[in-house]
Amino acid sequence: MTSKEIIHLYNRTGFGISYLEMKALQSESRVSVVNEVFRNSATFTPLQVDISELRSKMKGLNMKDRKKVRSLVKDSTKKVHELNIAWIYRLGATKKLLREKMTLFWANHFVCHDKNILHIQQYNNTLRKHALGNFKDFVIAIAKEASMIKYLNTKQNRKKKPNENFARELMELFTLGRDQYAEKDIKEAARAFTGWNHDIRGEFRFRRFQHDYEEKTFFGETGTFGGEEIIEIILKKKQCATFICEKIYKYFVNDQIDASHVAEMATMFYKDYDIENLMRFVFLSDWFYDEKNIGTKIKSPMEFLVGIHRVVPMRFEKERELVYLQKLLGQHLLFPPNVAGWKGGRNWINPNTMMLRLNLPSVLLANGIIALDEKGAFEDDFQRFNTRKNRQRKLKVKADWETFTTQQKNVTPEQLQNALLVSPINKGTEEYLEKLKEQNLKESCIQLMSLPEYQLC
Amino acid sequence: MKRRDFLKRTSLASTALLLPKFLSGFNLIDEAIATGKKLVIIQLSGGNDGLNTIVPFRNDVYYQKRPSLAHQKSNLIGITDEIGFHESLIAHSNLYNNGELCIINNVGYPNPNRSHFRSTDIWHTASDADQYLQSGWIGRYLDASKSKSLDAIEVDDTLSLLMKGSKTDGIATKNPNIFYRTTQAPYFKKVVSHHDDAHLNEHNLGYLYKTMVTASSSAKYIYETSKTYTSKTTYPNNEFSKQLKQVAQFINSGLQTKVYYASLGGFDTHANQANKQKRLLKVYDEAMEAFIKDLKQEDSFKDTLILTFSEFGRRVQQNAANGTDHGTANQVFLIGSQLKKQGFYNPMANLSNLDSIGDLKYDIDFREIYTSVLNNWLDIDAKKVMHKSFKGLNIV
Repeated sequence: MTSKEIIHLYNRTGFGISYLEMKALQSESRVSVVNEVFRNSATFTPLQVDISELRSKMKGLNMKDRKKVRSLVKDSTKKVHELNIAWIYRLGATKKLLREKMTLFWANHFVCHDKNILHIQQYNNTLRKHALGNFKDFVIAIAKEASMIKYLNTKQNRKKKPNENFARELMELFTLGRDQYAEKDIKEAARAFTGWNHDIRGEFRFRRFQHDYEEKTFFGETGTFGGEEIIEIILKKKQCATFICEKIYKYFVNDQIDASHVAEMATMFYKDYDIENLMRFVFLSDWFYDEKNIGTKIKSPMEFLVGIHRVVPMRFEKERELVYLQKLLGQHLLFPPNVAGWKGGRNWINPNTMMLRLNLPSVLLANGIIALDEKGAFEDDFQRFNTRKNRQRKLKVKADWETFTTQQKNVTPEQLQNALLVSPINKGTEEYLEKLKEQNLKESCIQLMSLPEYQLC
Repeated sequence: MKRRDFLKRTSLASTALLLPKFLSGFNLIDEAIATGKKLVIIQLSGGNDGLNTIVPFRNDVYYQKRPSLAHQKSNLIGITDEIGFHESLIAHSNLYNNGELCIINNVGYPNPNRSHFRSTDIWHTASDADQYLQSGWIGRYLDASKSKSLDAIEVDDTLSLLMKGSKTDGIATKNPNIFYRTTQAPYFKKVVSHHDDAHLNEHNLGYLYKTMVTASSSAKYIYETSKTYTSKTTYPNNEFSKQLKQVAQFINSGLQTKVYYASLGGFDTHANQANKQKRLLKVYDEAMEAFIKDLKQEDSFKDTLILTFSEFGRRVQQNAANGTDHGTANQVFLIGSQLKKQGFYNPMANLSNLDSIGDLKYDIDFREIYTSVLNNWLDIDAKKVMHKSFKGLNIV
């Protein structure tokens, strides 16, 4: 495999690869390199923050004790932030790159938000568990998740008063795409999911008395369907495979769809809805390595941030600052903008985020300065609001240059550049890069990561 | 030639001269600069209690539902026989007397959402309650009028959904000096100046370079233009006043920017509302007073329209903690010297006809107001910006 192909594969299945690691793979065939990517992600390790204290507090909680409930909600929200931080550090350290990359992908497909740490942590791990599994099992598992049951109002979906929210998004966002169904289908599907609920621990509970056992007619089929059968019927449509493959193509291959490639993928995926098989097919195909697919994708804030971290490991002394940074960059994990998720691509970039991205490597790694003010939270009380200053400050970040030096042993600035920049390089910038070659590796590293070209993968 | 016009021309011209050659393709100067009208949008974030802001002091229901929170007539600044301003709103009551304030009562939308985040999104995107749009109405205005990023500035460090279009996003900056300095890092200047046309194509890299150049040239233009004006008005010493002072500096220096957005947070008064709201409204009122004075001194008030909204009002019935919970409809304030309707646009909300939760039923859809502002103030066909058709109101 060529160096360029290996770097491309690792950019898309992970967050990049170091020059020396790439070098070590160069003598191997595509099949064997791709196999290793999958081997590394074969198992799944749940992501967990310590919630034992919260759990014990929840036992025997009287829901009418509003003060206790409120304080519990507060503790839980804090833990969600902790999970957010833990997730980012995991992305920075994991060997199970593809599994984690797919988890990010699915988190922006099965979009959900919940302040309850028990439920959202379980949800997050369901994404991780099924990330490379069978799509049908995945959809069913998601539909039964406590956080989803709350987020899309399945909880309020009862025989006497059906709530269509989940049924609609199931088809519009999760499986078929817009305009692939009639309003009648939504109504009938909603009836099939009546009675789906959860208990306080986040376990799925089927409430028999709230379920509608009558006949439903859905996509031309008639029967006393339950929710799982509705999902099965949806997956019988080839459109479902096509819809998912389009999204995968946009995320892993190119923003611009190539209809013939997607058709190949969909035919493959429709056979068994096996996600791992589908991904293997993509990474083994010749077109994945076409010139036009290399270095064309705009990195998401996470790909950008984690990418830097994997070159020069960082430790945020104040975790809050990592949270602000996510907000400034426009992708705060576990806090999606709405049920449709982040749009991605060029939508990540506006004059402000662009400037921030270009300045960030020196802010993080060379004591640069950043204007960092949290947007006035709604809860902001008056005193706090008034003490907010137009702060311009340094982030408290410890950069681990020792690890960088070890990992880049005897690497030249030019080799580092090859590993970090894969897009075509602007001519003027190329001249500028020539001068970088005389600098030390640390300096060149920061400067390389400060280029527009580094925003692409 | 007026001073501002002069500045407008010279500063733009000098900026243009300094720009690298390859930039000539996308000129900063707008073709659509003609009207010179400005829109300033202010959000009272957290959900201001409208009912205690503009108070129906003869309404019995009001006193029944607000046993410890209701304002007595003696504490209000009187306007009509039935309605009084909150005592903090001194400047606003003067604006009212001068015919420079229009109060639109009971503004909301169908199936109101009571989450701050969601309802803010709805107000920002001008969507229906069950519709999720990914662009704000000001962002779409930038798209439709073929404006530049710098035609809409949010006085903050991050950009709200309001300012994001499908093609063009506005710019967030609280301090043009800091914003400019970030574009002056040596490496950054080098990359911008070494940039060539070849990559301004459809490739994503071209898009990144274009955005970088936009950021850099906008920052320079904003910084260099705005520093030509120094305010002679004294503003109160708080963050919100600073934001408005910044907006006044932008406007008075002749910046081409058409829309500004700033917000004042803290209105989520679930407990001990009376003092909090009193102080917050004072901050709001005094800052606006200074801001308007500043604009009037430079004769730019006549071209400025100020729109104040809150993502929702609060429940009519107060809660047990001497506060109020999230509600629905609320007032919108329009301030300017060219209002078609002065004073109260419509009657106060009917407190006896509430929804099942005990919240107000709105009378005017907020998108009617946006439609009028777009059609009659920003001079663009609102249909190009709004996803739905509204008739609009006779307000500006």
